[in-house]
Amino acid sequence: MRWFWSGWAAGEPMKTSDQLPELDPVIHGKLRLALLSLLLAANEADFTWLRKKTGASDGNVSVQMVKLEEAGYVAMEKRFVGRKPQTLYRITPRGRKALAKYVDALRILLGKAL
Amino acid sequence: MGDKETEGGATREEIVQRVELMESMIAEGRRFTMRCGWIFVLWGVVDLAAMSWRYYQPNSLWVGEWAWPICLAAGVVLTFLGRALQGRQQGCSKGLRWRSVEAVWGMMGITLAIYITGAMVRHLTWQYSYIAALLIIIGMAHGISAVILRWRVQGVVAAIWWGGGIAAFCVRSNGGVERIMFLEMVFGMILFGLYAVVLERMGRGRANENV
Repeated sequence: MRWFWSGWAAGEPMKTSDQLPELDPVIHGKLRLALLSLLLAANEADFTWLRKKTGASDGNVSVQMVKLEEAGYVAMEKRFVGRKPQTLYRITPRGRKALAKYVDALRILLGKAL
Repeated sequence: MGDKETEGGATREEIVQRVELMESMIAEGRRFTMRCGWIFVLWGVVDLAAMSWRYYQPNSLWVGEWAWPICLAAGVVLTFLGRALQGRQQGCSKGLRWRSVEAVWGMMGITLAIYITGAMVRHLTWQYSYIAALLIIIGMAHGISAVILRWRVQGVVAAIWWGGGIAAFCVRSNGGVERIMFLEMVFGMILFGLYAVVLERMGRGRANENV
């Protein structure tokens, strides 16, 4: 039972040695993964730049950023540059951790698939 | 990228796709982050240009009074132009570390501008202690920046500048001071700047690492 309690206590999905790791559904979405990866490298970026780099629509980027924000993976800051409003996004330590975990899971899955 | 998000079971192709997507986006993000190595190279070249001007054109009408002010003003203009171009290309991405480093170098620039202008107006630039203080102030900026970025290489560069400052107190000739300045520009500015440029191109620039 120890595996059960240790996993449960850490808030992680239950898994045995035979089970494949679960991919975080918040990160696994293509656009959300792209946005989070961009923020991982850039640390901080504004909405327009993120939209331009992903090639997605305003609405879609906005919706996906809200999901990432709700999960606590990104933080948003609204400010003015001159008279222009600017929405700035920053990856949080939780988002960083979640992405690292997601990469580990991908690595394991890829290892199993090969 | 499509507008519809799909989630669910992961096939091998899907995983490979995700990995490729992450790699390309991280590369994009790195391209976006601020680069500053070129500024050191620029200032090294600007200072060497001023020194050469004085050295090779000793009888020029402009010597002494104007070689340094003109080169320094050109350095300031080129730095602002470069930063403006960089800003336009890159949008905005400034972490706390970058902002701290930027503040240190910005304030050092203002400090040196006041110091150099004051010394020039009062015709005190010939003093060895003037050069020594100049080198020590630059060393201080490198030192603070090294602590913020936890970058040993820049710590070594700070030590080079401080060493140059101490040496400037000890020399007894203008030739000695010129040699010290030359070595500082080559090792403390140009080579260090080139090293930073190479790191930044590899996506390992220190100012972009996260706090």
